[in-house]
Amino acid sequence: MASTQLLKSRIRSVRSTRQITKAMQLVAASKMRRAQESTKASAPYTEAARELLTALSTRTSVKNHPLFTKRTVKNRLMIVIASDKGLAGAYNSNIAKLYVNELQADDAARIKNKTITVGRKASQLAVRLKDTEIIAAYQELPDRPDGNELRAILDAAKTRFEAGEVDAVDVIYTNFISSMTQEATILRVLPAGFEDNPDQPNTSDITYEPGTAEVLDGVAYRLIGAELFQALLDARASEHSMRMIAMKNASDNASDLIDDLTLEMNKARQGAITQELAEISGGVEALHE
Amino acid sequence: MHLQLITLSGVSVDADIYEITAPTAAGPISIFPGHEALVSVAIPGALAVRYKKGDADTEREFFAISGGVIEVSHTAVRVLVDEADHGDDIIEAESHAALDRALKLRSEAKNQVDLEHAKELIDRHTVRLQVAGLRRHKRS
Repeated sequence: MASTQLLKSRIRSVRSTRQITKAMQLVAASKMRRAQESTKASAPYTEAARELLTALSTRTSVKNHPLFTKRTVKNRLMIVIASDKGLAGAYNSNIAKLYVNELQADDAARIKNKTITVGRKASQLAVRLKDTEIIAAYQELPDRPDGNELRAILDAAKTRFEAGEVDAVDVIYTNFISSMTQEATILRVLPAGFEDNPDQPNTSDITYEPGTAEVLDGVAYRLIGAELFQALLDARASEHSMRMIAMKNASDNASDLIDDLTLEMNKARQGAITQELAEISGGVEALHE
Repeated sequence: MHLQLITLSGVSVDADIYEITAPTAAGPISIFPGHEALVSVAIPGALAVRYKKGDADTEREFFAISGGVIEVSHTAVRVLVDEADHGDDIIEAESHAALDRALKLRSEAKNQVDLEHAKELIDRHTVRLQVAGLRRHKRS
């Protein structure tokens, strides 16, 4: 039986671990709430961009715009969004699994692959893989990413798509369904998807300045940006929510461990007392004889 | 006339206004109630909003905006931009320092990504300083 001293020190160490995981859980919970709020806040932007595009589609052919034109995919760019830090449950490994699957599919179809990584864990993974070429790596994005961070990533992808270097751009990120459910997802951002809506109001009296082509450029860019931004925010919210759950489990496990160890320590102490009593009564017996 | 200023981080302004002056690709335009329906491309610059008809120029509110799209109908204006910083939130000294940092970044840029990033920052802070300048006139 382990000595009480040893058990005591183990309990102490597990207890301080529990304190840390508990704190991380609370931090992740509040960060998740904030990330969820900003996900909601960007919704009007996406909606307005979509409406403008619908109005534009009555005047000009949206589908022939370079950013909407589908091409045979020979080169593909993937934007992989993971976290900077670990201890977030299966968050990073789910992304890694999906990413590797996609790479294998590309390899089988003889599609050349390029990657932009977001988050340190994504770049650490991508440098170890030989099937892809990393063209940019972004790290330590702020908790509330704004247009500046978004544009850097978006422009890197857009210029390559327009130059014909890549024929499709996909984002691999974790979709935030609810605070209990998150799912690693792949989303095509370029060529952008847009369905013509046949019954829409007549917009022939609207003036477009400087011209429909320029306005379409602007709107298309905003819409694609909004989609990528949404993916970034979703990934953020998912990361914090998965970290929160992982840390809650860790805290629960630590509590169980402390209970077990405390029980063992009490048993050991009781054992020691019983043994001492037996020795004393044995000594008394010996004196009587 | 109803104005909606929509950015990636939410709706910044949702109010009735009298006049809005916005920088567009074809030059700055002022929009009053009853303006013809128009969709125009906004460029980075200062956006000025006059809430009531009698308000003086110095009572206008200013926003530093990044590029976007402006949609005008007879009764409403919708401005769709990535970012809009309210003039009151811009601290001039901070923007100056940030601009200097960005200029330094551009001169030291080693690759295309860094260079583009620096240019982006320079544009952004130049606009912010422009708006801060307008604000100063307002106060004095």
